[in-house]
Amino acid sequence: MSDIETPVTVRITVDGQPVDARPGELVIDAAERAGVYIPRFCYHPRMKPVGMCRMCLVEIDAGRGAALQPSCMIPVSPDMTVVTDSERTRKAQEGVLEFLLINHPLDCPVCDKGGECPLQDQTVAYGPGESRFVEEKRHYEKPIPISGLVQLDRERCILCDRCTRFAKDVAGDPLIHFQGRGSSTEVNTFPDEPFSSYFSGNTVQICPVGALTASSYRFRARPWDLEETSSTCRTCSVGCSVTVQSSRNEVLRQNGVDNDAVNWGWLCDRGRFDMESGRSDVRLTDPLVGGTTARWSDALGAAVAAIRATIEAHGPSSVALLGGARLTNEAAYAWARLAKGVIGTDDVDCQLGDGLPADLVLGLPRATIADACTPKGTIVLVGPDVKEELPVLYLRLRHAVVEDGATLVELGHGRTGLSRYAARTSYAHPGGDLVERARLVAKDLDESGPITVVFGRTSLAEDPAVLAEVAAIFLAKGARFLPALRRGNVFGALDAGLAPGLLPGRRLLDDAGPATAVWGSTPAAIGRDATAILTAAAAGEVKVLLLVGADPVADGPDRALAETALERATVIAVDTFLTESGTRADVVLPAAGPSEVDGTVTNLEGRVQRVNRKVTPPGTARPDWMIAVELADRLGVEFPQDPDALLAELGAVADGYADVASALDRNPDGVLVTGACPLPATPTARRAPAPSGSTLRLVLTDSLYDAATQTAQSPSLAPLAPGTVARLNPADASALRVEAGTVVSLASARGAVDLPVVVDDGVPAGAVAVAANQPDCQVNRLLDATWPVTDVRLEVRR
Amino acid sequence: MGYLEGFAITWRKFARGFVGDDIVTTEYSAGTRSGRHDEKRPKPERFHGRHVLNRYEDGMEKCIGCELCAGVCPARCIYVRGRDNDPADPTSPGERYGYVYEINYLRCIHCDLCVEACPTEAITESKLFEFSFTSREDAIYTKDELVVGDDGRPKRLPWEDWRVGDDEFTSGWVRATAPQGSAAYENRVAWSGELGYGVRAPEAGQASESATVVPGSHGHGHDHAHDGGHH
Repeated sequence: MSDIETPVTVRITVDGQPVDARPGELVIDAAERAGVYIPRFCYHPRMKPVGMCRMCLVEIDAGRGAALQPSCMIPVSPDMTVVTDSERTRKAQEGVLEFLLINHPLDCPVCDKGGECPLQDQTVAYGPGESRFVEEKRHYEKPIPISGLVQLDRERCILCDRCTRFAKDVAGDPLIHFQGRGSSTEVNTFPDEPFSSYFSGNTVQICPVGALTASSYRFRARPWDLEETSSTCRTCSVGCSVTVQSSRNEVLRQNGVDNDAVNWGWLCDRGRFDMESGRSDVRLTDPLVGGTTARWSDALGAAVAAIRATIEAHGPSSVALLGGARLTNEAAYAWARLAKGVIGTDDVDCQLGDGLPADLVLGLPRATIADACTPKGTIVLVGPDVKEELPVLYLRLRHAVVEDGATLVELGHGRTGLSRYAARTSYAHPGGDLVERARLVAKDLDESGPITVVFGRTSLAEDPAVLAEVAAIFLAKGARFLPALRRGNVFGALDAGLAPGLLPGRRLLDDAGPATAVWGSTPAAIGRDATAILTAAAAGEVKVLLLVGADPVADGPDRALAETALERATVIAVDTFLTESGTRADVVLPAAGPSEVDGTVTNLEGRVQRVNRKVTPPGTARPDWMIAVELADRLGVEFPQDPDALLAELGAVADGYADVASALDRNPDGVLVTGACPLPATPTARRAPAPSGSTLRLVLTDSLYDAATQTAQSPSLAPLAPGTVARLNPADASALRVEAGTVVSLASARGAVDLPVVVDDGVPAGAVAVAANQPDCQVNRLLDATWPVTDVRLEVRR
Repeated sequence: MGYLEGFAITWRKFARGFVGDDIVTTEYSAGTRSGRHDEKRPKPERFHGRHVLNRYEDGMEKCIGCELCAGVCPARCIYVRGRDNDPADPTSPGERYGYVYEINYLRCIHCDLCVEACPTEAITESKLFEFSFTSREDAIYTKDELVVGDDGRPKRLPWEDWRVGDDEFTSGWVRATAPQGSAAYENRVAWSGELGYGVRAPEAGQASESATVVPGSHGHGHDHAHDGGHH
């Protein structure tokens, strides 16, 4: 919605009272703002009106006499008179409801929507009370699963067009549609094509009846069982506003809340349904020491003993911390202070070598989502497939291009979910001419509107230093940047200082500011990043490795390196599940999950929002901040003892966070933290060797459903992981004589994996695109994090 | 002076208790005077006793796990959770069945609002109120204990004192006189058949010409009043 505030208003009369409406505003919206609710089913404020349901008929007189008109289709006009409570309106509403109920089965007792159903509620409020329909109602097979996540009950459908409009206009996945005519009209998928949209859960949320229900919530509770709290989704870094609903200490449902700055009420299916993992039976409930269950005091004691002994013997830089991008800001700050202020190491990284240099992210001028979506602006996409990694950002960018006339220019290594909306795409060969292409693209940019660069890793198998060069090119054009890093609260972790060379508040180590006073000391020298930490651990230089919600073995780009590192170092893992890295840890501390802690998170814009605790953690699991506070206590330093106090201390050391707590109370939609650290000098990327004829260059991408802990532990989402395939350009496929489905072996100098081939003309020639972190394949066996690019040989398996 | 006049009634009633038959209270058992302490008095037809969960004539459970009983319960003593019926081996007609059903009799006040709320006549009350427990676990009746047996009669638990007649008239038939409250349905039988009893005959005042009274038939097939509950 691009409603630009203008002082001009249109004076109309609604039920006798004068109302100042905005020009172009629909009567139904103007009336609602004035406190007059007009009943509706099909109208949704975030979608274009269609006037399907006729429930919003009211008497509108725009100068030619009062007539019943659908208030969702009529924009206000000067001196318009609207009557919503007349006898005629009442009769129309009763008639519409009686018609709608003719074929509605009234199976409210077994329907998941019963109790929170707009049809039920509005029938009570506006309905006739009696039906004259005594004939047999229509019957369909039900429920039919239209995707792995959504079930369709066609008997209940009132044909309001909300789900189909959402799929077509908002998500751009027109996979469900009206079929048939007249009384046999039904919503359905196309034959043999499931409703496999990443946004299918939204249709369940906006369905005004129980026609679309979510498999994960089906029959689990009734609305009156549920208690809810507002919170923020932590699955990716977009930071969608949600309401978390639970019953009997179990999170059962997560719905989107309309936050005008961020998600507009939408959620992706991963964010909506991965709360299932919270109630998993295999959650960590007790600490483990050496693989056996231990008491907290013993586990913390073992961890502290290891840390203390190592510091004494080898100095603070023999301790390193990886992770923190899944924590709240408060927990990230506590861990940052523990590592940098108490232990004294700067070998801290919240990214696992699959992100961008922290000082680059924090140094570039930041854009908001609204900046990026400015009508008639220019969006340059240099980075991952936004649809796969930051799905709700995809919805916003798509809307900006399709509805608001923004121009999208895409640079990368192959087709992404946004490519079809791009005015211009430029696909570089990995390790090749991305910088040159960026220069060409930048030259032609329309500079009359704002330029926003959505900026992230185009391939995890390529040196990110290339991207610093690309950023410099667009920076010279006056662009602002929306960094597209995916992990839940990676921006909060960066703001809290969980990166080498950084301190809280986007400060560099040599400009420590108030942190020195509060902490007592800060690290003297800039530490190592994730790859260097793992390399040092593998070499025996880093003796103790703290993994805070990080799984470098499965989720990092270089599996072999992580395995060696974890083998040699003493590993202390804090996590909600026993991950692959956790099984290699010496001490495992169980942490509370997303809906089990209070705190704040920061999204990719720098917007701070609250997360709220809804359920208690399983077993003896503790919030991450509390674990850091306990460890610090045992190391002789007293930290603030609760999230509020931690946030207050973060505010004392980080300028942007100074008054965040009170600002959040005034503005629940979030508070933007601004400010940037000095931009680092643009590094020169290591030049990749020229591609040889016999190898293909690996492009490592992410897909929405992968083997990430929460997704893999959510029964609804785990089966949706697409599995790994080797996507090849048709030219390469024919040159190599492979067809779709052929199983090939991809071998790098590091290792080999077997994959089936998919021929895809969206992949540049000479490259092979593979999804990372899929449950069936350890693609990260192929990579060496120190290589500028990864070349693989492709052999056909016979 | 006025209040002494009130006591006059008290004293008069007290005195008459010794000389006449003007006793308005009844004893719990059939009476100490007659020596039949162990005999229970007959209870009214619509007495609110311990609940039962009924089944259809084909053995399917009537409960669909809709939680309306739990929602209406003023004592909040009912806990229900629904679940998907296995299409190959359904527990109840339709998509959903009551997977968990618990009533906490330490809290229940036998108000019968659950019975009023039930859309399928699944929960009704028997005449039994003589049950006592020695543990909290026993006081929380589970679905296994509440659901009627294969003969359609309530299960008799060790701590309950069932006598002849206590398990009569436990079904929805007892209350379902005219659920719609509409005169147009006055003479129709609007309740479903039950395991062990079939479709019960109309009550006094209702016409017996109703064609739906077919003992032994599938009860839920006739249940037009509750179209939504089962299919």
